Amino acid sequence: MAQTLAVETHGLSKRYSTGVMAVNDLTLLVKTGEVYGFLGPNGAGKTTTLRMLSGLLHPTSGKAIVAGAAPGSPSSLARMGAMVETPAFYPYLSGRDNLRVVARYASVNPSRIDPVLKQVDLTDRARYKFRTYSTGMKQRLGVAAALLKDPDLLILDEPTSGLDPQGTVEMRALIADLRREGRTVLLSSHLLNEVELTCDRVGVIAKGQLVAEGTVDELRARSGGRTLLIRATPLDQARRLLESLLKPDQVKLVQDAFVLSVDPSQAASLNRRLVADGVDVSELRVSEQSLEAVFLELTESPQAGAAQQAEAKK
Amino acid sequence: MIASLRAENLKIRKRWANWILLAILLAWIVLLSYLTFYLVVRLSPHSIQGPVPASVLKRRLFPENYVPTVLNAAESIGAAIMLIFGALSTASEYGWLTVQTILIQKPTRSAVLGGKLLGIGISTVLVSLALLAITALSSYVVVTVDNSSSTWPSWEVTLKAFGALVLELTVWSLLGALVGVAFRSAAAAIGGGLVYLFVVEALLGSLFRTTPIVKEVLKFLPGVNSNAINASFPATFRDSTGTALVGAGRGVVTLLLYLAIFTISSLLIFRERDVGGS
Repeated sequence: MAQTLAVETHGLSKRYSTGVMAVNDLTLLVKTGEVYGFLGPNGAGKTTTLRMLSGLLHPTSGKAIVAGAAPGSPSSLARMGAMVETPAFYPYLSGRDNLRVVARYASVNPSRIDPVLKQVDLTDRARYKFRTYSTGMKQRLGVAAALLKDPDLLILDEPTSGLDPQGTVEMRALIADLRREGRTVLLSSHLLNEVELTCDRVGVIAKGQLVAEGTVDELRARSGGRTLLIRATPLDQARRLLESLLKPDQVKLVQDAFVLSVDPSQAASLNRRLVADGVDVSELRVSEQSLEAVFLELTESPQAGAAQQAEAKK
Repeated sequence: MIASLRAENLKIRKRWANWILLAILLAWIVLLSYLTFYLVVRLSPHSIQGPVPASVLKRRLFPENYVPTVLNAAESIGAAIMLIFGALSTASEYGWLTVQTILIQKPTRSAVLGGKLLGIGISTVLVSLALLAITALSSYVVVTVDNSSSTWPSWEVTLKAFGALVLELTVWSLLGALVGVAFRSAAAAIGGGLVYLFVVEALLGSLFRTTPIVKEVLKFLPGVNSNAINASFPATFRDSTGTALVGAGRGVVTLLLYLAIFTISSLLIFRERDVGGS
């Protein structure tokens, strides 16, 4: 059975009146029930995209379907909860009263307020004015408001922004809970570690274009994947031997260590050959290409990234 | 729209700034329109005689004149306060970015703004009731303290005055709402609105009232039309601000047109404009 899509965009573009092309021909497919990470550097077009998906911005061209309907339509909004950019509430109202306002707009039974306050651990502070809240509490109230409608789809823009380490861990746990409950989560972030820990799939956006999409492992593989790291002496002898055994472009010397672009299963045979040739091997391990390196590679040149993505799809 | 109206009512009720605006309006009437005026008339030396005898001047504060007094206050301080109220109601949503929070709930943009304007309208009705009540009470206190006698206006006049109050104050609050939506900044909306009210309507309206071209333009302004409606109510005497430039009937029609124009303009801007981004 084909998996349904919670979010679908085709050729979505947004050019602001200032002439800035914030999002350019974006095609994005978020499957129902997954946690999708929308990754990109600041100014890449993440928030603009999420604003279009929430109906706050009108696209310049292209189309989108969010929770089965056009973005911003009552039927789409009824099935989605969102926190776009900063959590925005009335400073003169308490956390609970802010949720009462949101519940009234959303035609949600006010009996939902207490459970969502509990879910984000804000029950004790619910009677305090929003203006007295810390950044972390504001963030949690934003998530509570997004959960109020018991939505199938959650759109969270930088959900751990401004949170302390404890809050970040709690937010990750909350997102994991949401996934277990079968909800779809589309979250944007520029924090690689966060995406790596919480998301099933990742889309990388740079300069308004989607430059890569896949699981974290797939992205790593596209950018070289796993490598072997060998520290051996004498260096020259080790280099000569490795270059004779492998292709020259598979051997790189980085800070007194060899980084070999080979299948890690070759580790034992390479070790045997080095030792047999009188080379001392002090370290040999599989090194994973960090997501950070992949991210930098993809976002520095969107065209290169797009080409790489096309290559990978072949 | 009912959902939006319910949310709006909660926000209006819980916002201290709104209660402060109401308090200023009521205090203005009690302290300036009644208490200060009464003390000046009562305690001024007998040697100082104005064109109108103090005994006649005092009757302005009595129940027989409470309708023109409240309408006079609505035309000046009432207009300013309601303009600020309307501007705060819409512009603050942009200042706090709460506009994006409410637009990602269920209602359409038209329903969100429709509920807001309806909430402003209902508040204006309640403010009008409070104004009438405090003015009537003040006039009753004055006539009692002065140990004088007076008659209350008929129910018909009182009801018509209430209708006029609601119409005039709603026009100003919806103008405030419109400039709030247009400027997306409470300071700019309030500043711009008050400059219009006090410079264009009040200052130019009084300085160039007799200039033929300006006079024709003035006939289309909300303040001048409010003044025309107010002038149609009976009063013992009036401040000399000149005769009304248009008839009361035309005044009502013009203000109703302004209500429609302000509502439609706000809706068009609110529906079409992007929220957020650069």
